[in-house]
Amino acid sequence: MNAPLPQDTHLPAHARARGAVRARFAANRGRSAIADLYEAGGLRLRFPRGTAGCEAVLVNTGGGVAGGDTAALSFHACADADVTLTTQAAEKIYRAQNIAARINLDLVAEEGARLEWLPQETILFDGARLTRDFTLCAAETARVTLLEATVFGRLAMGERDISGLLADRWRLRRAGKLVFAEDLRLEGEIAAILDRKACGAGARATALLLHMSPDAESLLEPVRESLSAAPCSAGASAWNGLLCVRLMSPAPEKMRAALSPLLEILRGRPAPRVWQ
Amino acid sequence: MIMFTITAMDTSMADAIGSQLSLPLSIWLSPSFPVGAFAYSHGLEWAVESGLVSNAADLKDWIGDLLTLGSARNDAILLAQAWRVAHDSDLLAHVHELALALAPSCERHLETAATGAAFVTAIRAAWPCATLDMFEGAVAYPVALGAAARGHDMPLMALLEQFLLAFTANLVSAAVRLGPIGQTDGQRILAHCLNAIGQTARFAHESGLEDLGSASLTSDLASMQHETQYSRLFRS
Repeated sequence: MNAPLPQDTHLPAHARARGAVRARFAANRGRSAIADLYEAGGLRLRFPRGTAGCEAVLVNTGGGVAGGDTAALSFHACADADVTLTTQAAEKIYRAQNIAARINLDLVAEEGARLEWLPQETILFDGARLTRDFTLCAAETARVTLLEATVFGRLAMGERDISGLLADRWRLRRAGKLVFAEDLRLEGEIAAILDRKACGAGARATALLLHMSPDAESLLEPVRESLSAAPCSAGASAWNGLLCVRLMSPAPEKMRAALSPLLEILRGRPAPRVWQ
Repeated sequence: MIMFTITAMDTSMADAIGSQLSLPLSIWLSPSFPVGAFAYSHGLEWAVESGLVSNAADLKDWIGDLLTLGSARNDAILLAQAWRVAHDSDLLAHVHELALALAPSCERHLETAATGAAFVTAIRAAWPCATLDMFEGAVAYPVALGAAARGHDMPLMALLEQFLLAFTANLVSAAVRLGPIGQTDGQRILAHCLNAIGQTARFAHESGLEDLGSASLTSDLASMQHETQYSRLFRS
């Protein structure tokens, strides 16, 4: 790995965005609502009305993520809270000069809580450099669904041969025990790596969907049945009380078409509006 | 003169110890060591079934990518870390937990956990060492191997090379059984992969857990698709 320069020489320090959202959700007499909220930088949380449970939409008023930007997201679902988090738009990661953008997502789900992180796709522009860390601490009886979908290049503009960096680190714990970890590293000529058969076989969109709940393994069959009609490469597996789905496609819209029915199965209710 | 004598003696002693040390490695990593590695294809069986790997050139690329960019690279990092921390039970417990959690699918979890547990059983029977004391039930194979190798003072570089070679040879052997290549192609691929094996072994020798990172997404997905493959020879 190339050591990053101490600072991005093309951007003064004040121009780099340091966003943060910390939110805690609590259940009160069967209704879930925001209990604490801290917002900083260009990140905001909005609450559209008329949804089951508490639905929150993350908005990046900066309209994208540049090299050196940081976003620290922290969402805590208290006991029995029912929380769905999505994003207003696909997140754009711009070309970075030297320093990678960093996004940290820390999730906590207490006993009986239901917590869903279902953001829209992240789009890596050519030259983008992005490092992400995902952590979860879930109680034994929590139901958690996590999705990360990534698109490699502005494909509609013909940008198919991107380079850059994507480094994702997942560490998910249930009842204190590490039950799932993943370290993804695509560095350098990302498109050329994705064209290799063992790596992407030509994919330009990938997704990882994880579901953790006491009945997670019993959802494997319906999920596989849904995937058998998926218009993209996909597979599902269940172990350790965890259900994991991987999807890949040269065409992001095909991956999205496969995701929507999956979310419905995992949630037992329709997918959030942005995923329908 | 004294200096010369000492140097000569050190060298000859090191040679003698070195040959003794690496012999058990050849046994532990031979296909006949009772861990059942031959029963696992690491998702390759699906790659062959789906046409992703249909000839020697495909297989050479597939294995080469696992070695330099993928799961074998991660396993080498985990192996090296287990070797380094084998005498520190807290740090060994950490890499033990992480290595099992890093499995990308149920069958890959089975592959590493079942071969790891069988390895621990075999080592306890014939090559007992204290560094395996903490393992009970499922343990990721590279972690068990690293801890045992350190328990017997085996050199890390030889361990990494032998481990990656055994991984490669196992997949080549699986491919020969699956049909896309013959024995001669298999030997050519093994010869070709020695470069990548050396490269990854040298990298892992200097690595730490922060270097973990894989790009072998199709291979991970293949291990999931293999779970529903209609007719199969392998358990992964």
